[in-house]
Amino acid sequence: MAVLFASAALVILLSVLGRLGILRPHPAITIVNVAAILLMAHMLLRLMDDFTYVPTWVMRSAEVILALFILATVFLTPSPPAILPSWLTITLIIYLILVLIYTTVGFIRASQKASGVTRRRMRAVAVGSIWLAVTFLISGFGSRLFPHLAGLWTAFGHLAGLGSSLGYYVGFATPGILRRAWQEPELRAFLGRAARLPRLPTTEAILREMEVGAATSVGAPNASIGLWDETAQVLRFTVNGEPLEWRLEDGTISGQAFTTQQALFTDDLQRDQPAYAGIARARGVKALLVAPITAGDKRLGVLAVYAPRAPIFADEDLEIVQLLADQAAVILESRALIDEAARVRAREEVTRLKDDFLSAAAHDLKTPLTTLVGQSQLLERRALRDPAAPADLGGIQKIVREAQRLRTLVLELLDASRAEQGKLVAEREQVDLTAIVRDVCARHISHRHVCELETRESVVGMYDPTRIQQLIDNLVENAVKYSPEGGEVRVNVWREDGWNHLTVSDQGIGIPSNDLPHIFERFHRASNVDDRRFAGMGLGLFICKGIVEEHGGRITAASGLGQGSTFHVTLPAQVEAHAGGNHSPDGK
Amino acid sequence: MENESPILVVDDDPSILETVSEVLEFEGYPVATATNGREGLDAVERVQPRLVLLDMRMPVLDGWGFARVLKERGIKLPILVMTAAQDARSWAQEIGAAGFIAKPFDLTDLLSAVESVPLS
Repeated sequence: MAVLFASAALVILLSVLGRLGILRPHPAITIVNVAAILLMAHMLLRLMDDFTYVPTWVMRSAEVILALFILATVFLTPSPPAILPSWLTITLIIYLILVLIYTTVGFIRASQKASGVTRRRMRAVAVGSIWLAVTFLISGFGSRLFPHLAGLWTAFGHLAGLGSSLGYYVGFATPGILRRAWQEPELRAFLGRAARLPRLPTTEAILREMEVGAATSVGAPNASIGLWDETAQVLRFTVNGEPLEWRLEDGTISGQAFTTQQALFTDDLQRDQPAYAGIARARGVKALLVAPITAGDKRLGVLAVYAPRAPIFADEDLEIVQLLADQAAVILESRALIDEAARVRAREEVTRLKDDFLSAAAHDLKTPLTTLVGQSQLLERRALRDPAAPADLGGIQKIVREAQRLRTLVLELLDASRAEQGKLVAEREQVDLTAIVRDVCARHISHRHVCELETRESVVGMYDPTRIQQLIDNLVENAVKYSPEGGEVRVNVWREDGWNHLTVSDQGIGIPSNDLPHIFERFHRASNVDDRRFAGMGLGLFICKGIVEEHGGRITAASGLGQGSTFHVTLPAQVEAHAGGNHSPDGK
Repeated sequence: MENESPILVVDDDPSILETVSEVLEFEGYPVATATNGREGLDAVERVQPRLVLLDMRMPVLDGWGFARVLKERGIKLPILVMTAAQDARSWAQEIGAAGFIAKPFDLTDLLSAVESVPLS
């Protein structure tokens, strides 16, 4: 960069001195002048290569042309008057203009891929190049084509030259104040987004957003956050979707920044991190800014911003990267707090569910137990009062009935635990769903409830008959239970595309939409189920789901508050595979 | 005679209702029954019980609702809360009951609770 400015200064100095008559035309001066101008073009290509990429053949051709021009100048300049032949001058100028247009286009293209401050700097350089091309155009051809306007051309030439120097200065040697101003919008946008980052669904998503934010704020193509893993003693990065681990003793710049808790800058990664020169080269990374991410005395990791070319960064960028790293620490800490709060809530929820379950279970067991105790004591008292009296059959029957009820409840608890282990379904045999529904319906008909079966033909499959009976019984019982005002329970059974379908619909209280996704969960009871009114442990549907899924089927519910509910069971029909087998009643 | 006025048992579980009334009848108390709070209120009007054994969780009108309506109607009637819930004691206090019987209860628990309520 210094060479570029020096050559430009030399060209200007020589032209001013020549004009003032201090320097007499001399072949040596002409050669120096031409060399300086050519060097400028050449340096511009080198700088462009630093920022983006110039194909090798272009660089090589430029070098050859540089040599050819100098040779031509040395051998073809007549002396005196020590002025270049005009065809050579014109060729030289055309060549320079071509190089400048090439760099202008190159920088504009590169700027579209870059972001933030780097993008603006590249645009400034492109402006500088195009103005320099204009300068050459004017000084080379203006006076030659329109000699009567010489004064005007000179003035234009100076103006264009000034524009070009400004463009180059701002682009290549961006003053700190301008750098800051150009970084500000991205930085501000990132900090503005920071508050909502901790709420993103995953830590990964937060890291990726912070990386993009940090890269754009500094104007670098990439950034990467390495999180410190205390157990494994490594810094974990994700680069291009792939995990990367650095141990501290690997001697990486990131590791150093983490150990020393200082922001570090290198403009040559291959030199400063020789052990990993290969990786740096392979990933096309040359310059690196890295700052520790630390919250209080908690070392969380590092923020690394890197670029394929050194001049993307300035020393002051270290401060910005440190600022971004501090912001990252705040975001990560907030995230940790949010996660911790969620964990506590989840633990509390599990405990609450268990407590609810225990008290519901206890409540459900207490009712039959009360009758059992009461009836047996009554029996005892009767016998004591009149030992000769005949056995109180009614009382004995009640005791038997309540003992059965208790047994059912205990079995339900056991089933719930079996469902949890996927061990509900035992021996399968040919089962007619329609026949089971007919039985179940008959049992649930009351003066309040009608149970309507819409099918007559049998729908068979290979199922565990006890469990299928339990499933249908449970669904119909629920339909009746949650229609306290009475109504119609409709059951439909049919076969379609190799699946057996069963639906149970009621006109009851329905299920609120926010409970719908959870009703098959253990212990879950819908929020509109007042457990003072509807006894139950919240296990029935959990067991139903277990039964259906162990049969390879699916159970879904459609409902709305106050709109009744429809449960839809789909079971594989698969009867063909087993029909006529040993389980078939008439297959013997 | 005041002694002739019955004990009203309100519970939605038919077997509990049956057992409790059989026990009380066996011990010589006249008994009336109801399967929820609303039926209970009707029974209060009809039989003018001297004591109510009240389940709390019931359909249509629960124990709380029953007690509230009694209060609104200005009927002062001793109530014994009869529940399987853990909160028997606090529920009894909530509705200003004379006491509580926690399910599952023993016959003696039931009878001593009934006897502990003074006749008005």
